[in-house]
Amino acid sequence: MTVVETRAVTRRFGSFTAVDAVDLEVGPGEVVGVLGANGAGKTTLMRMILGLLRPTSGSVTLFGEPPGRATRLRIGYVPQSLGLWRDLTAAENMEFSAGVFGVPPTDTPAGAGGRLVGNLSLGVQRRVAFAAALQHRPDLLILDEPTSGVAPLSRARLWEEIRAQAERGVAVLVTTHYMDEARQADRLILMARGTVVGRGSERDIVGSLEAVVVTTDRWEAAFGVIEDAGLAATLAGRALRVPGATTGEVGAALRAAGVDAEVTTGHATLEEAMVVAATS
Amino acid sequence: MKAMILKEFRQLRRDRRTVAMLVAIPIVLLTVFGYAASFDIERIPTAVLGPAVGTTNPLVDTQPDVFEIVHVDPAGTADDAHDLLRDGKAIIAVVTGTPTTVYVDGTEIFAAQSALRQAGSLPDGVRVEVLFNPELSTANIMVPGLIGFVLLAVGTIITSLGVVKERAEGTIEQLAVLPLKPRDVILGKIAPYFLVGVLDLVLITVVGLLLFDVPFRGSILMFAVGGLLFLFVALGFGVLISTVSQSQGEAIQLAIMVMVPQILLSGMIFPLTSMPLGVRWISYCLPLTYFVQIMRGVFLKAAPFASLTIPYLILTLMAVAVFALAVLRFRRDLAPTGRRGAAEEVAA
Repeated sequence: MTVVETRAVTRRFGSFTAVDAVDLEVGPGEVVGVLGANGAGKTTLMRMILGLLRPTSGSVTLFGEPPGRATRLRIGYVPQSLGLWRDLTAAENMEFSAGVFGVPPTDTPAGAGGRLVGNLSLGVQRRVAFAAALQHRPDLLILDEPTSGVAPLSRARLWEEIRAQAERGVAVLVTTHYMDEARQADRLILMARGTVVGRGSERDIVGSLEAVVVTTDRWEAAFGVIEDAGLAATLAGRALRVPGATTGEVGAALRAAGVDAEVTTGHATLEEAMVVAATS
Repeated sequence: MKAMILKEFRQLRRDRRTVAMLVAIPIVLLTVFGYAASFDIERIPTAVLGPAVGTTNPLVDTQPDVFEIVHVDPAGTADDAHDLLRDGKAIIAVVTGTPTTVYVDGTEIFAAQSALRQAGSLPDGVRVEVLFNPELSTANIMVPGLIGFVLLAVGTIITSLGVVKERAEGTIEQLAVLPLKPRDVILGKIAPYFLVGVLDLVLITVVGLLLFDVPFRGSILMFAVGGLLFLFVALGFGVLISTVSQSQGEAIQLAIMVMVPQILLSGMIFPLTSMPLGVRWISYCLPLTYFVQIMRGVFLKAAPFASLTIPYLILTLMAVAVFALAVLRFRRDLAPTGRRGAAEEVAA
């Protein structure tokens, strides 16, 4: 059975459409990443899935029914703000969460137990939030940028745990604008301006998209010329990458400005695909 | 420094609530102190009882403008006078006969003082008796009112801060996605403040009784019911304020705006009888006014329930209305998909 299913779900705020006809499915044991720049509609979509917002049109079902108290019993949710009470200790937070779900509290992450959450590092706070969300053995995990601001080692451990949950059959929905997090997902949904502009694996989303690569000693001047031409450039070492552009338009702009450069093409990255989706 | 001053002015200009307070509070205070904050008694409701009601009255005739006759009963006795004063229907009761006795309600301290000044020039044979607060002790009338002030402070400020903190820190969204019924969240959130309020009620009452020798002559049950009803109103105000505040600073500003008129206009400090009618009607809209009436009645007058029915009834209605409104608004934060809720507004 599909754990999360949205059908043409749309949410408008006045004349602004935050989410426009989004279809999404997450099955048991799947890790699905919703990727997009800030303002792409990820948070609004997630809030509709959680039942915090009603869709203007379309439908959301969790475990085959609309979001409600019964479905919340099967969800583990970690918001970006973590949802922990900073003036309670880690153990007290765990105890509260377990109490709400009517299960005995599990062990608090090492080194966190008796300390106030507000005094813990962000990495440890995330581990506590994650542990609290898993106590009732949820069937669906909803994670909002789960490893944002976490050191590489802690990030690796958290993803190890997310993977372990997926292997146990838990459906995992991750919203993020970080490429590292997105690459951990089995499937990706790329959102821009409220709509889905790409879906599948990283390769599916990048597809045949290429980036123009500009190599020159005068990279600073080249950067300014490309920006003035209305193109989005990123710096990779001392080379410039211009996703979604053609060698012709970039070469012409540089020649007109008198900047000598080698202009070639290469495969676009996932991040570049997201930039192109957000700006086109 | 010029840049700093400019920055502050720009920030202040955009903080509309603070600007409103800067304008509104001086106007409110000026108006209240100008009209209401007066200890001068302009009219004293007076009852005249006994067989000689129609003849010259030794007290009322001294200043007919001040002693406003509100009740005349030729068959009335000293007991009736006591009841009239206890029920707040008159502040002075003159029982004519031999001897003529002037009964004064000692809980209306300024009116009583005014009456006693007049009594100094009364003819021999006229007896004056101050009931309920014979020493005209200020503590005796202030402590019962101060209990209400403390409950208002605890219930309104502390509760509003506690609830608004959930919103400011983003944990209210976490509560909304947990499998809790809105009712459980609301009751769980309010219960500790209710218990703290009850403890404060008991504590300040005991301290008031022991430290200031305030008499407690009435029914403990009536005291408890009045206290709990008022606590519900105060908690309701607290939750209501938290639902319209985005930060603890905003909550405190609003709580102050709720509390100041109650302190000044409830009769706790300034007697209602000295306020012009235009201001007094505001007093009758404030819950602390009725709490003060109940507590003074219970503490000092041993008033039976029948004589305080109206304050109890109004306080009950206020408690139900304020608390229900507060719970409904708080519920919108917690069950947004059930009805068009605040979470939707926030997201928008």
